[in-house]
Amino acid sequence: MIYGDKKTGVLVQGATGKQGEFHINLMNAYARQIGGKGVVAGVTPGKGGKEVHGVPVYNTVKEAMRDHDIGASVIFVPAAAAADSIMEEANAGIPTIVTITEHIPVHDTMKAIAYARMEGSVVIGPNCPGLLSPGELKMGIMPSGLFSCGHVGVISRSGTLTYEVVDELTRAGIGQSTVIGIGGDPVIGQTFTDVLAQFEKDPQTKAVVLIGEVGGNLEEEGANSTNMPIVSYIAGISAPPDKRMGHAGAIVEGGEGDARSKIARLKKLGVPVASRPSEIPEMVRGLFRSC
Amino acid sequence: MKLREYEAKKVAREYGIPVPAGFLIRSADEISEHIGALGDRFVLKAQVDVGGRGKAGGILMADPSTAVATANALFNTQIKGLPVREILVEQRLEILHEYYLSITIDRSSKQPLILFTEAGGVDIEITAKEHPDAIRTVIVNPLMRDIPPFLLRELIGKAPKEIGGIVNKLYHAFIEKDALLAEINPLVTTPQGVFAADAKIIVDDNALGRQGFTMNRDLSEREREAEKYGFSYVELDGAIGVIGNGAGLTMSTLDLIGFYGGKAANFLDVGGGAESERVMHAVRLVASVPSVKVIVVNLLGGITKCDEVAKGIIAAGISQKVIVRLAGTNEAEGRSMLFAKGYEMLDTMDLVVKKAVEVTA
Repeated sequence: MIYGDKKTGVLVQGATGKQGEFHINLMNAYARQIGGKGVVAGVTPGKGGKEVHGVPVYNTVKEAMRDHDIGASVIFVPAAAAADSIMEEANAGIPTIVTITEHIPVHDTMKAIAYARMEGSVVIGPNCPGLLSPGELKMGIMPSGLFSCGHVGVISRSGTLTYEVVDELTRAGIGQSTVIGIGGDPVIGQTFTDVLAQFEKDPQTKAVVLIGEVGGNLEEEGANSTNMPIVSYIAGISAPPDKRMGHAGAIVEGGEGDARSKIARLKKLGVPVASRPSEIPEMVRGLFRSC
Repeated sequence: MKLREYEAKKVAREYGIPVPAGFLIRSADEISEHIGALGDRFVLKAQVDVGGRGKAGGILMADPSTAVATANALFNTQIKGLPVREILVEQRLEILHEYYLSITIDRSSKQPLILFTEAGGVDIEITAKEHPDAIRTVIVNPLMRDIPPFLLRELIGKAPKEIGGIVNKLYHAFIEKDALLAEINPLVTTPQGVFAADAKIIVDDNALGRQGFTMNRDLSEREREAEKYGFSYVELDGAIGVIGNGAGLTMSTLDLIGFYGGKAANFLDVGGGAESERVMHAVRLVASVPSVKVIVVNLLGGITKCDEVAKGIIAAGISQKVIVRLAGTNEAEGRSMLFAKGYEMLDTMDLVVKKAVEVTA
């Protein structure tokens, strides 16, 4: 597992909002089930002193950090204020900041990530479902029922497509070490390259499924940066140019980032690429047979 | 959202970047009023939202004697199928050299990337392929207000010094206008100084509100309808309508249709936690596309509840066949509601897509 374990205390920003409240409950239900620490504190400016599902809420991140041992955070704050939340957490010294929020203006994200890097924090997302390490830690909104513990890491730019693949893997008896959604925006904190470097250091992870989509070339860059055995799937082979396919980052621009050339480059790097999600489990098995 | 040339040039002017003298007209007779200020040679540029407008006949030269006739001709032309409603009339510059300058967002470094080449005026993608060493790039830390002089020197090389100032001004515009792209092509030197002969700015859709835009006018009518309900929607030209939740899963459903030899009519992502009414609007919207013969609904419930989805599908009451794959929260309830109404349901996305392709074959 990467980015945290059972002992990681999690802070939630935007704790008293509809999304924050709903997911604090689910994250802590999972933590109780596996004996993890889960969400230990929440932050919403002006709502300090309240409780959400038994979790104390503070006005600022620094106040929460004085009372609790916090190793990571999850942000559910609305788009207009989310970049500020990232910077507040980086400034307070939280090492891993998972940002679920969608529709953050990309210039805000760019500045917040540059600032977090300066403060030594790592940002996952934005516009992502977070991560789940079966039996260890859930940070975000992934439906835990589909997951099973094992040795395959999953990195994805998507949400529901990730659940689809995890479901296929679990049904095929292939468990996961950590499943992480890195976000569907053009600018994201942790890229495929960063997460693959974490998986390389993780003894539990033996192979990685890399789920990409149209837009940019972060998939190829990641595959080229690692010696981990990888199986890939790229969504958007039917995406027309210059149209955003749901995600702000899923766009073929200036003739770049289309699925066919992405797949060709991955294959050239020796990465097997599935032509549909249901092929992935068999291809993952193939990795283990060949090594 | 892409700004039109005259809007992008207004931004350039606001930031102190010289642009050619000019004015916008919406009918041919408006041209005579202001033409005196432009000298005896000018250019008429159709303000249409398509690329390659020059080659498509959207840019015409004129002089005072031909101005009205040329404007009339341009207003009566269609550029790549689009009517010409606005024309930018500009003085013609005496061009000595053409440069290319752009600022984009580099996904890899997560910072603004500035690109400059002395080989301007042509398609930058061609230059990138044929003379990659003619292109210089620098990356700027977005926390800095100005581009440091050493980076400007690295970027522009031996080009005239005043271009460095223009790069910095364009960078300010890029940051403050929430741009995804700010491009000047060509940036020209003339005996009168340096000018942005053309300008292109794309504003981040997620920042339209704070930039004072009420809507994204790049959208088609159905796309606008979709936006009203918060759907991501892209229209294609096949017979199989698609509704999914989550951009990746929906894209993947489209791809699978292609894999099995069919053609998708659209991409529609209803988003997370969709309630029955939103699902109903989604189904009706896709059903309203004339080419749609069958609709595939592929929903993986997490925060989306399957019974809400079922209610929405039933409430839509459309004439086309709907084939459904539902999995996750409240799956059993959703399935029994649809079963009672005789809807076809299958267990995996492969199966629903295969079925839809068979129906349309």
